Amino acid sequence: MTTATLEASVTTASISMRGVGRVYGATVALAGVDLDLQPGVIGLLGPNGAGKTTLIRLLATALPPTEGEIHVLGRDPEVPAQRTGIRRRLGYLPQEVGFPRGFTASTFVDYIALLKEWTELAARHAEVRRVLDLVGLSDLAAKRIRAMSGGQRRRVALAQALLGSPPVLILDEPTAGVDPEQRVTLRTVLAELARTSTVVLSTHQTEDIAALCERVIVLDRGRVRYDGSVTGLVARAVGRVWLADQPDPVATVSWRTGTGRYRNVAAHAGDGVEHVEPSLEDAYLLLRGGSPEPEPTREGAS
Amino acid sequence: MTASLVAARAEPVVGRSVFTALATRELRRFAVNPVFLAGAALTAVTVWNAGRTAVTEIDTVTPYPAIYLGGFGMMAAFWQTRSMRASEPIVGTTPATLPIRTAALCTVAIVPFLCGVASLIALRLYLPVAGDWVYGAFSPSARIAVLVEQTVLPALGGPLLGVALGRWVRFPGAAFGLFLILYGWVTLVTIVSLTHPDPTQNVALRLFAPFAFFTSYENVTEVTTWRGSPWLFIGWQFALCVIAVLAALLRGAESRVRFTIVRALPMAGVAAVLLLVLATGGGLAHAVRA
Repeated sequence: MTTATLEASVTTASISMRGVGRVYGATVALAGVDLDLQPGVIGLLGPNGAGKTTLIRLLATALPPTEGEIHVLGRDPEVPAQRTGIRRRLGYLPQEVGFPRGFTASTFVDYIALLKEWTELAARHAEVRRVLDLVGLSDLAAKRIRAMSGGQRRRVALAQALLGSPPVLILDEPTAGVDPEQRVTLRTVLAELARTSTVVLSTHQTEDIAALCERVIVLDRGRVRYDGSVTGLVARAVGRVWLADQPDPVATVSWRTGTGRYRNVAAHAGDGVEHVEPSLEDAYLLLRGGSPEPEPTREGAS
Repeated sequence: MTASLVAARAEPVVGRSVFTALATRELRRFAVNPVFLAGAALTAVTVWNAGRTAVTEIDTVTPYPAIYLGGFGMMAAFWQTRSMRASEPIVGTTPATLPIRTAALCTVAIVPFLCGVASLIALRLYLPVAGDWVYGAFSPSARIAVLVEQTVLPALGGPLLGVALGRWVRFPGAAFGLFLILYGWVTLVTIVSLTHPDPTQNVALRLFAPFAFFTSYENVTEVTTWRGSPWLFIGWQFALCVIAVLAALLRGAESRVRFTIVRALPMAGVAAVLLLVLATGGGLAHAVRA
């Protein structure tokens, strides 16, 4: 990429990463990541330890990279004043959140709203009510967070990320512990928000990504294994997923389904098998187990 | 789901500065903290009880506001500072930087400070002292200084120390541990002064604390006034308060703010040492029994 095109991508993309890496001691969590993220929902998939949370924390300005450059909304998070500028336009839901003792859902979100510079009382209260309503917690606004279920707590944490409908929304496992009905509601909220915002969604729930995202990034061992459309990733699995009465020895992954038959996924299916339409999960598993030492690829280049 | 999504896309409505709004919030949280409320209530009860009979030893009354407002206030401020630690992944990515949040937390010291001032006024106006001799050989203004250093300054400094501790120490019992250490230290150096009040090193040792006695009592009517300047001791206490604030603000400070704090800290340290030396050398030339 030339300097001119790099500069152009920095200004047009909400988020731009160039050669970004992060090292913890001797452990390389992330290496050589180049990404340009525009408005829309971008899914982030990968096994545990793939570097998803590190990438999310870098994007959320919670962590500096040890190499490379990041620009969020044209600002450099390494510069304190610009970092504050990013944070004014950022919503972030971390993977793990603790809550202060004695806070209700409303007081917690209100406190975060204050930190996000909603200092005018009436406007802040209206915004807090709005985001709590969005995550379906209006009725529980006065309930102490510590008395809430895990899913409800997750929604409280999500509510604060939605404050002000930020142009950049970074979500790490937003639907973990959330019931199916609420997950559908949250998908609607995020899809609506993604019309104008860049929403980065890290999750193990492939169905959330299939339902919400046009673009998916698969990370493995700190590197981008796939960066492209969800349909493109699923298309890779066409003809590589089949049902059988027994686990197929050639299958990379095989499991018993609810019908009692086995769903097999492999890079090469045998002859005469009963092919089925692949899901994103199949495609992801295929990508993960398809080759022992795969090279990182980008959709356009691979 | 009835809430609007798109209509809310707007910049936050800034009515006043984040610091002011945050400080107001933290003040309100501190004012209803059960530990602080217990301290304030115990102070009120102690002062009230002290007013029921003639007081012949002022030192039997004045340490309690320091313990209850300063000590309990330190623990309350420490826990309030730590309370958002679990939410730091969220709180830490908001535009309000850690120094701004710390500065807002430091303002909570206003509450116990005002309680300390109220205690001082109550002690001066309503405490039935047996006579002016109870205050020792101090001038009327120095008597005020002794009361200020024993009631008001600890009430201010304790919570500030609690905020600094909360920013730098992870151990949940740190504030209580420090409270015990300070209590033990003041007791120890006072005991040393009881037997040998005049040596300069003993005076320095006694004043090398956030709280100090300036008198001792024997029998019922004998008061010994110790060496040291109460006014300069207040200066030393105030310098300690400044050091606590700077140490608290240093956590998470970057670039210019950090540079300023790092430069101010040694200056505050030098000022503290200077004031301690002056407080040690000031006042009476030797202990006076009356």
